[in-house]
Amino acid sequence: MPDSDIVILGTGIHPFGRFDKTPEDLGVHAARQALGEAGLEWSDIQAAYLTRMYLPATSGARILRRLGSSDISIVDIEAACASGGAGLRQAVLAIRSGEVDTALVLGVEKMPRGFMDPSMIYADWQVRMGLSMNPAYWSMRARRHMHEFGTTEEQIARVAWKNHRNSVENPNAMYRKAFTMEQILASKPVCDPIRLLEICAPNDGAAAVVVTTARRARQLGGEPVAIEACAHTVARYSADFRCPADSMSATISNPGPTRVTSQKAYEQAGCGPDDIDCFEVQDTDAFCEIEICEQLGLCERGEGGPMAEEGHTEIGGRCPVNMSGGLISKGEPVGASHLGQVVEIVSQLRGRSGARQVEGARVGLAHVLGAGGNCAVTILAA
Amino acid sequence: MGDETAAGKLLPVNEGLVTGTDNEPRDVQLLGSKCDRCGEVSLGANAVCLNCGSDRITGIRLAPEGELWTYTVIRHRPPGGYLGPDPFEPFAIGLVELPDGIRVMAPLAGDVDSFEIGCRLRLEPWILQSRDGPAYRAFRFAAVAG
Ligand SMILES: [Zn+2]
Repeated sequence: MPDSDIVILGTGIHPFGRFDKTPEDLGVHAARQALGEAGLEWSDIQAAYLTRMYLPATSGARILRRLGSSDISIVDIEAACASGGAGLRQAVLAIRSGEVDTALVLGVEKMPRGFMDPSMIYADWQVRMGLSMNPAYWSMRARRHMHEFGTTEEQIARVAWKNHRNSVENPNAMYRKAFTMEQILASKPVCDPIRLLEICAPNDGAAAVVVTTARRARQLGGEPVAIEACAHTVARYSADFRCPADSMSATISNPGPTRVTSQKAYEQAGCGPDDIDCFEVQDTDAFCEIEICEQLGLCERGEGGPMAEEGHTEIGGRCPVNMSGGLISKGEPVGASHLGQVVEIVSQLRGRSGARQVEGARVGLAHVLGAGGNCAVTILAA
Repeated sequence: MGDETAAGKLLPVNEGLVTGTDNEPRDVQLLGSKCDRCGEVSLGANAVCLNCGSDRITGIRLAPEGELWTYTVIRHRPPGGYLGPDPFEPFAIGLVELPDGIRVMAPLAGDVDSFEIGCRLRLEPWILQSRDGPAYRAFRFAAVAG
């Protein structure tokens, strides 16, 4: 690993779920764990980024002051479901600039129960007319994909089956319960064709990483994992009709945010999807994972359904996806979800994932996608 | 507390989105914006083209009839200030492709099991009464007879 590489030296996570804990409790837990794993003190951190969507202003300073007094830059970063990736990217850029050599990125979220307050992302008129259900937008993508490519409800359910099953082995997941295909297909439709056991729930959680240079990591010892790429983009006009879109062009079709962001990441890392051993991707709903696999280039367009059905995305398959159980079983604390994926990939690349370990994993990719077409992709290598 | 000036009036569900008057609530058409530079059509009266950023825009009225591009069924009451039927009834929403070159997200009137991609739909007015405040002139699409 060249000295110029930027690495993750420590990771920390507070399990995702529902807790009677404050954001400070959740954040301090994850941050302390990440510092401890890196063999560093809070006073060694030269810049800190708090990634969150639903917490109030200056949450970073409020949470991190619990670690002790400091006068470093602490900034809150928000980019919807991609907040964690946007924050990690800032840490990489700060270190690459030479101004700092060690930074902390902490994602914390404590989400309102049930459906999210629609006025955060939708206009009043969309709310009045009933157009403010996030799952409806995912479901309409699924319906169109089924129409164009023959994707089936069984193929979609298969993704949920896999992710719930993987989560049983993940102590940081919320549900950790395996379901049969029959149970998934018999669960209530939320927005047809997507069912209750095929969507993720917003919840609470935190995840953190300590980022530094390979040179510093070598001095400190430990198990650094290189950040080969970290890209964040927001979708172009008519690249996507994710919420809160009120319309889309029928004449212009730009490449989707996942394709654009992953291409940037592949270029940065100098690799392609075939060189990557394991993936954590946005599965706000089970169909979403099918579409993301296509857009990341794991298969051809329209082949995502059969790929899931044939087991290629299972642990032990050709390209394992969501070994952690994905957001479907972990839940989605929005500001913490990408860093949670990064924690999983780091664990996989260190060979420490126990029963959900992908044999010999050397390179891994984490992907998130959300409101407004916010997308982040991080590629890590052992 | 309602808006006193709005008592008994029918407000557009959003400014610059639908035509129609208090006297003729059924005369609802969707407003759009056509870019003089790139030709893209967007929903509502917009000052700037969402595609190319030009501010040379011509206001238009969108075609009232189109084809269903995709859809779903809302099985649970949407959160916040949804003004549809109370008690809640499941309803479909979809993207309706209009000949203007735009697909518009809209509620669909009628049996939730009656829709399929490609079916013909026509714009119709949808009056939404808020509990204590004004009524709104909104829109939805319904199957074209025959
Ligand atoms: Zn234009």
